[in-house]
Amino acid sequence: MSSSLSGASPDYDLAVIGAGPAGQAACLSLNGALRIAVIDEQARPGGQILRQPPRAFSVADWMTGRAYRGLKARLAAFEALSNVDFMGGRSVLGLREAGGAWTLTLSGPSGVEEVSARRVLIAGGCYDLAVPIPGWTLPGVMSAGGTQAFIKSQQLVPGKRLAFAGSHPLQLLVAEQALEAGGEVAVVAFIQPFSTLVWRAITRPWAALTHGAVLLSALGSAWRLFRAGVPLRFGRPALSVEGQGRVSALRLGQTERFECDAAALCFGFMPQADLPRAAGLQVTPARPGGWKTNHDEWMRASRRGAYVAGETTGVKGAEAASAEGALAGLAVALDEGLIDQDEARRRARPWRKAREAAMWFSALLEAVADPGPFSARLPDADTIICRCEDVVLADLQAALARCDEVGSVKLATRCGMGACQGRNCEHSLLSLAGEPHSERSAFTARFPARPVRIGDLAAR
Amino acid sequence: MERLDVVVIGGGLVGAATAFRLAQAGASVAVVEAGYPNIGASGANAGSLHFQLERRFLENGEALADQAAQVLSLNRLAIEEWRRLDAEMGPDLHIHMRGGLMVAETADQVRTLERKVAREVEGGLDTRLIDGAEARIIAPGLSEAVTAAAYLASEGHADPKALTPAFMTRAQTAGVQLLQGARLTAVGSDAQGYRLTVRRGEADIELATRKVLIAAGAWTGRIGELFNLHLPIYPVALLMNVTERAPPMLEQLIQHVGQRLSMKQAHAGNMLIGGGWPSRMRLDATGRFDLDRSAELLTPSLAGNLGVASRIFPPVAELNLIRSWTGITAITADQTPLVGEVPQAPGVYVAAGGSAFTLGPVFARLLARLILDEREDRLSIFSPARFGHLNSFMGGRLA
Amino acid sequence: MRKTQGVSRGEPFAFSVDGDAIQAYPGETIAAAMLAAEATGFRRDRSGRARGLFCNMGVCSECLVHVREGDVSRRLRACLVPAEPGMTVETGLGE
Repeated sequence: MSSSLSGASPDYDLAVIGAGPAGQAACLSLNGALRIAVIDEQARPGGQILRQPPRAFSVADWMTGRAYRGLKARLAAFEALSNVDFMGGRSVLGLREAGGAWTLTLSGPSGVEEVSARRVLIAGGCYDLAVPIPGWTLPGVMSAGGTQAFIKSQQLVPGKRLAFAGSHPLQLLVAEQALEAGGEVAVVAFIQPFSTLVWRAITRPWAALTHGAVLLSALGSAWRLFRAGVPLRFGRPALSVEGQGRVSALRLGQTERFECDAAALCFGFMPQADLPRAAGLQVTPARPGGWKTNHDEWMRASRRGAYVAGETTGVKGAEAASAEGALAGLAVALDEGLIDQDEARRRARPWRKAREAAMWFSALLEAVADPGPFSARLPDADTIICRCEDVVLADLQAALARCDEVGSVKLATRCGMGACQGRNCEHSLLSLAGEPHSERSAFTARFPARPVRIGDLAAR
Repeated sequence: MERLDVVVIGGGLVGAATAFRLAQAGASVAVVEAGYPNIGASGANAGSLHFQLERRFLENGEALADQAAQVLSLNRLAIEEWRRLDAEMGPDLHIHMRGGLMVAETADQVRTLERKVAREVEGGLDTRLIDGAEARIIAPGLSEAVTAAAYLASEGHADPKALTPAFMTRAQTAGVQLLQGARLTAVGSDAQGYRLTVRRGEADIELATRKVLIAAGAWTGRIGELFNLHLPIYPVALLMNVTERAPPMLEQLIQHVGQRLSMKQAHAGNMLIGGGWPSRMRLDATGRFDLDRSAELLTPSLAGNLGVASRIFPPVAELNLIRSWTGITAITADQTPLVGEVPQAPGVYVAAGGSAFTLGPVFARLLARLILDEREDRLSIFSPARFGHLNSFMGGRLA
Repeated sequence: MRKTQGVSRGEPFAFSVDGDAIQAYPGETIAAAMLAAEATGFRRDRSGRARGLFCNMGVCSECLVHVREGDVSRRLRACLVPAEPGMTVETGLGE
């Protein structure tokens, strides 16, 4: 492992974790100033919203929807920036601050490396909320976000006949994308009744009006799926997956069963919070799960030189992420003395407005998509909650009956001790243990944020 | 208020196990735990059962090594204790006593091993010095870099996540009262013993007891202050690493005589790598070491620890690290555990300061005898009396 | 199922998964090539049951597989790593 000598100047002025809309916007708002490293796990920039196909693919009409137009233009402008070193295919394992510089430990195709920068922007995006249902560990059951990423990027439908289930309207869009890409859709099922979905939307008329286009696109997807003969179901909370060795059907309660060879679960999204937590940044519980990182009006996090933007601060979509990224970029420019307060404020104004507007809609979407607390709709007692360590609901309930401290349950059951470090199960356990809770009483985020080969980290 | 026989401060291994042994003997006992049982080093340590002299006893000159040799007699008792525990408490503790190898690479290290083995044999431990080839027959994953090893067939490992809860559950069944989420805030004394004020949530609980055992790990020094005592226990933060589960590849405990290393494969298949590499404790708002927050990982420790592990046992290099964690444990001023009654505070016992996983169960058995006023000499080398001078200016027992 | 309409890929190549030759196109992740070949199992859980990949964005670690290239063996997330000619992948399900 290489390491920067103490006293040596950092490699970069700014390190940006995540090349999605937030990270891109931060770089763009810096106008070519500063030496910037942008790190992303994917080989190409874009984030999950614009997860690009491999360079070796040529895809006609990629992501041509109107909603993607502005994002694609910004991505193109970002890719043209000459002051940015894009470091794709690399995972950030951890970050630490010493002597006014942040050092990031990365793992990538050539092993482990370190990158240092005077400032760091964490814009790591979000991931699907993993909601345990019976049978969800069968091969062929995936998150809806992951399913969509296969379609967008790899130009692959991960199955022939897909069943969708969950609480988030995004599943309508993904189902339609699967259909367009040549897949069959067995069903799209919502746990909420249709009336609840509509009621939650119309109780926020302002947001519904200002984002009519987006709502219409969800409705449009629903309409087109319906016309294509796809069954749409509402008010089906008792979901389960059946199969021997792999998924063969999605079951909605006792009566309805839809045969499929892949199932996509869609319950909403959680911020990627391992790095902010491991770096000791202050966080707050997020809905419907996970942790959002605290920040000031300039997207500065609780430690000097650390900034956050996008879903890291709470999931609210690509438009809000772009706006926060731009604000973070302006904050870096301001803190570097590249611009003065007046200029920063003036340039921030349109982004703040855009962010405000996007927040209205994300609040609406959050309300519509809310699956409700896990503890209120428990699956069968033998349902696996911690996928890495095969800890079932009954194990957790038994441990909680002895001691309701999350740390104690982890020690007693191994829940959260596996390769994903509890990213998928922590929110379920916290819900079982009873809300509210603080980050201190939850799992401790530890190095490395992603699994890494021992030999790559070892001193030689 | 009914008077208890013993209040134990600290719901870790020593606290839980001693409470159990005391209750088995008919004493009335309460355990006061600020967090929850096993929250500290008892649950966070890597679970080594090491009965060979530790490397730290050999690196600070002969004086300490002589003293440490006295630990050997207790280590022999500990071996018997762990064998009994396996039978007494069942398979859930995952006690594996399939041997331990302390390896050497250089000629200097081999000489140290020779000295060490001679001392251990003298002390009645059946350690054996073997060459690298024999070590590789015992543990086939060991690298060619290993030129010799001290082999002790009774070493091994157990599951720290299971041990303390097992003792605590049995203790509670035997009538021990557990107060968790409860912090000791004030101490007074009277003719029959001590009066303790314990804060749990918003409520104060008063306990009257004849005797007190302070078994609070890294917190022991601070608890001692409530008793107007200096207890020379120093918190230290250590690094441990765990890989994802792997197929069986290592039956033994591996240690290194010249480097900080302990390595084993836990029952679930994960490889655990530690050995005393430092982490950095954070400071609280008043500038003191913050014992309630996890310590900061030090990159050189991480690279160093994984480096030794990979060099000595190359198959581990190909596994993924899934978590490096830091835990706060405690050492004493002379690196020998502090176990016994504090001379300036009759009825106050302490048990802390190192090796408390391997030795915890045997400490508990002997301490219980000591607390119950039975004759027990085997803990005398650990007696707090050796630090008596620290408390000679403290004004004596609390009023 | 690969989308073919409007998508052109490079020349396919084969790599090995649990001893079977699986076809991949340049740039495809190991996971995508496996799913296209209907190989949905990526590991065994503690009870020996087959498990599939879940998140497809590097978070869940359900798709960790052994990847051997030349002399180096790594446990990698199949959803992030492009398949390469000559690569050998073991899921643990082949045993």
